[in-house]
Amino acid sequence: MSLKDIIAPFSVWKRALEKPYTTRKPLDERPGAPRYRGFHVNKLDVCIGCGTCEEVCQNEAIDMVPVKETRHGDSGLRPRIDYGRCCWCALCVDICPTASLGMSNEYVWVDSDPEVFRFTPGAEGKPWDECELGYRRADGYDLLESKRVEMPMISFEESRKSFTEMVLGYSAEQAKREADRCVACGICIATCPAHMNVPDYIKAIRDDDMAEGLRIVYEANPLPASCGRVCSHACENVCAVKHKGDALSIRWLKRYIIDQIYAHDYQKILKEKAADNGRKVAVIGSGPGGLSAAYYLRMLGYGITVFDANEKAGGMLRYGIPEYRLPYDQIDKDIEYIRQLGVEFRQNTRIGVEIPFQELYHTYDAIFFSTGLRLPYGLDISGEDLPGVISGLDMLEDVTLGKTPDIGKSVVVVGGGNVAMDAARTSLRYHAETTILYRRRIEDMPADEEEIHEAQSEGCVLTTQAIPLRLEKGDTTRLKLFWGKAEMVSEGEGKRPKPVLIEGSEELIECDTVISAIGQSADLTFLPEEIQNKLEFKRGFVVVNDFHQTADAKIFAGGDIANPKRDAISAIANGHSAAKGIDIFLENFAPRD
Amino acid sequence: MYENVMKSAERFKARPLGRDQKIGGMKQREDLLFMKVEQEQAVPFITWLKELGGFGHLVLFTAVDFIEQDIFQITYLLHSYEQHHDIVVLVEIDRQKAEMESIHHLWPHAATYQQELFEMFGITFPGSPRLYEDFALEGWQGPPPMRRDFDTKEYSEKTYFPRPGRVTHDPATYMKEQLYPGEAQTW
Amino acid sequence: MVGRQGSTQTAHSPKLPPVVDGVSQYDLYSGKYLKVWQGPQHPGITGNMSLELVTCGDQIVECRTHVGYLHRGFEKLMERRRYIQCFPLVCRICVPEPDFNEYLFAAGVEELAGIEIPERARWLRALTLEMARLTSFLMWIGGQTGAFGMGTIGQWTVTMRDYMLDLFEELSGGRIYHMYIIPGGVRADLPDGYAARVESTLRTIEKVLDDVELAVFHNAVFKMRTKGLGTIDPSLVETYGITGPNARGSGIARDIRKDSPYLVYDQLEFSIITATEGDAFARTWVRYQEMRQSIDLIRQMLRKMPQDGPFFTRLPNVLHWKIPAGQTYLRAECTRGEYGFYMVSDGSEFPRRVCVRGPSYTHAVALMERLSVGCNISDTAGLMVSLHTYPPEIER
Repeated sequence: MSLKDIIAPFSVWKRALEKPYTTRKPLDERPGAPRYRGFHVNKLDVCIGCGTCEEVCQNEAIDMVPVKETRHGDSGLRPRIDYGRCCWCALCVDICPTASLGMSNEYVWVDSDPEVFRFTPGAEGKPWDECELGYRRADGYDLLESKRVEMPMISFEESRKSFTEMVLGYSAEQAKREADRCVACGICIATCPAHMNVPDYIKAIRDDDMAEGLRIVYEANPLPASCGRVCSHACENVCAVKHKGDALSIRWLKRYIIDQIYAHDYQKILKEKAADNGRKVAVIGSGPGGLSAAYYLRMLGYGITVFDANEKAGGMLRYGIPEYRLPYDQIDKDIEYIRQLGVEFRQNTRIGVEIPFQELYHTYDAIFFSTGLRLPYGLDISGEDLPGVISGLDMLEDVTLGKTPDIGKSVVVVGGGNVAMDAARTSLRYHAETTILYRRRIEDMPADEEEIHEAQSEGCVLTTQAIPLRLEKGDTTRLKLFWGKAEMVSEGEGKRPKPVLIEGSEELIECDTVISAIGQSADLTFLPEEIQNKLEFKRGFVVVNDFHQTADAKIFAGGDIANPKRDAISAIANGHSAAKGIDIFLENFAPRD
Repeated sequence: MYENVMKSAERFKARPLGRDQKIGGMKQREDLLFMKVEQEQAVPFITWLKELGGFGHLVLFTAVDFIEQDIFQITYLLHSYEQHHDIVVLVEIDRQKAEMESIHHLWPHAATYQQELFEMFGITFPGSPRLYEDFALEGWQGPPPMRRDFDTKEYSEKTYFPRPGRVTHDPATYMKEQLYPGEAQTW
Repeated sequence: MVGRQGSTQTAHSPKLPPVVDGVSQYDLYSGKYLKVWQGPQHPGITGNMSLELVTCGDQIVECRTHVGYLHRGFEKLMERRRYIQCFPLVCRICVPEPDFNEYLFAAGVEELAGIEIPERARWLRALTLEMARLTSFLMWIGGQTGAFGMGTIGQWTVTMRDYMLDLFEELSGGRIYHMYIIPGGVRADLPDGYAARVESTLRTIEKVLDDVELAVFHNAVFKMRTKGLGTIDPSLVETYGITGPNARGSGIARDIRKDSPYLVYDQLEFSIITATEGDAFARTWVRYQEMRQSIDLIRQMLRKMPQDGPFFTRLPNVLHWKIPAGQTYLRAECTRGEYGFYMVSDGSEFPRRVCVRGPSYTHAVALMERLSVGCNISDTAGLMVSLHTYPPEIER
């Protein structure tokens, strides 16, 4: 012990003269740090109510409560946070796919009522709602993968040379990696016309349980091999993950499940059909709608006969979609399983020609028809009956039937839908120079985005805002197509702008073939007049109720003929709900698990 | 070091895990060796490691409930400061007859671990001091809570009251009710 | 009444009852002994625990540590949470130094899942760990001096701790529970101008530390009360599993940062600080020097760390992240000694077992019970703080 030990401690006295470190109340002058994890903020219009925040919360502090109107892609629910449980970890902010959720740097709030500390951020007008500061997910840190696993495809140089399927399909590793991106919110289920249980079958992929995946898929879709390739995938447009990057490739994941299972294993995996109940239903048309109705009715124990005009079943799937998008063996895979269940197919049988409609009407307990749209619209310009003017559907059908279409060296396809793209890309494969003429802008085209992209990449020339004027016989080529430039004229808010011909503009394309693909209408000639009079029509569609029952209680209709969405998956959904409707109509219905 | 330990390990029929072959899905770090040993050989082996093998530091001593296989895995984590190396001795004991030899004579603080293991897992260590005294759970009536079959959620729902007024909605189900209720009701 | 198995050490004074087979032989009803509870609410207790003391006069005959006042069952809670959901939980195991839990949990998950984190994340992690050490020491020294009646020191250093918490708040968005180190890296990069603000805080702290040195280590009262208090014989270090400054105070040069370097500690220059006496004064001195060392290490890291680059590596989707089956143990040198996480995965989305090894587990129970025998009752608080015990890591 030294003298220093006695004296040194007195050095603390020098601090008596220093300014004390005191923070005085109120604490307003001390805002939280810019990254402070304070009370939540939520941009209600950006939030889609996917509930991923609720899912990740380890404290069950978040409830999803109705705040906004429910619409496709937005459940209308918004997170409500119980600050009695919240631990301020901000994982909800980190994982939010839309980045709508954040935290303010406000942390002082005193109230005697504990109930106020449970509120819906953004919806209840808190002082910090507009707060810019506070915790947000940092750049370079992300808990969700926003990039899609790239689908292996054959190159455009290769693809344009043959009808080989372009999309090669995911490998197991790729599929699992893609399935892993799913946040399992289920927003997509409502938007899928067939309401397929997407999150569950994606989970089956993650669990590597293909049998379970197949069972889930077949609950709402008996044509998954086809749909896994050509579905218009409305689900992907509303995918929660799409808000931060690429949507899950739901369609290709479905295809992955189907590709892993041999057709002859289906019977072991899928649930057995109910015992025959002795009743018979006729299905007219073997497109997706007819096949779907046939499958679900057969599962309920009905005896089903499918009547179809073509040589093979499948309808537009087979005759309207080229092989490079949907190979025929995949359609067969779907159809063969339905056939195995005991559905009778009568091909090359046209109702109203080979068999009168009335005969079916009296022989069967109910009729479902989904005969689709078979009559192409004409171009409605002079010269459209010249040789070399054909319809897109006819050309695609010829190709399916194995005929080489007579298109010459150059082709102009008129139209902007999927049929137009299919016709154009098929023409390319027959070595024709192909131009697509479309009246409106590229963003107005009804064709799938990827179809347009692939058509262009393969070498189709896309000419937009072009209105065909007249056709003449060509000099060096078969035809001369005159067209005029259009300008887009606004039709008022919320409406699609209209293309209007610019007076005096006229351009010319010389070509061997003009393919018109500007839409189709229904052919109802198979229906006898008395039935036609009984049924209701509205803008060319058969009017049906929720269960696809027409004005004649015994007749049900679905598919393109009764559904403005006009795609395979809607037709499948129609077939399914018509099956329910028929089951109810025939008083066989019992709630099933 | 490794060879030395391995040579002696044979005497105790201790099997290394995860050095060459993987334990579970992973390759272990170089300085971390898992050894599996039969119950009777465990304490002799640990004693050898402590007294002769240079693994004098008992880092951790705990148990893992593998209820599916009806075993408790007792984990002794020993460290050698000279070699900066860990040996993890794993012993599987019958879950129905959860009893293990005590090692409090080797390390006094092992008694604390054993007291805790009895309380949390119901594993007895005959001879261990204060084994049956409460450790962290004074007045606890239920089964040993760290056993897998003790359901914390069920317990808390039974014991505590949920805060009233909370209700949540599953987005998929809610959208079904809102957007396509007809189909929701009939199928 | 027969007491528990007690210390094997020889009696300090003839007052102590005889020890037979390691058990103190005393009779409470003789009127010679008094049972006193120190804690669970007592200013001289670190956190929520209590000491059940048997005294003879003012000398302690027997001590038993009681815990269980803040058992929150973290290890059990984690069994029913996804890996990412454990992340907000683990930091709560230890309030003054949450970052070690975050780091060890994240590193354990990464090792089991086979994930490599980016270089910059390793530096940022090491930086927060060292800042956490400094912050924790600043609080401890307040307790250590407070236990001997020197409340002023605590007022100075806890203020400094608050400045450190400001830095944590700025970095991570939270003052106490930083939740900054996440499996895959860290959650955010350093804010602009952060290094300069750290430096200015470190300077302020250094100035205070100079004053602390004068007021504590050159203080006759402090010296008298701590020298010879709770002497740990080097031979006890392994038998009692003593780690950290408690071991280093007894001349055992062991520091995990040096012995098994993790993160970036192999790229930093520092040496292990030891003292030889093994008593409370030596331990206090070691910790005091380690505060200065931490300041130096923080400066080194800010200087040496790469200036940019990724700080997070993409994980599989954390909502359904399955970790391959396996087991691992990771350790780090926290202020109190060896902090460790033993993790067992069964290949599912939930951890099978996460077991936390807190250094206080041995220090506060077995060691404290032994060292306190023979002490004066007025020194128990100081002894306890000199072991830097912390109950939450005992009962996870």
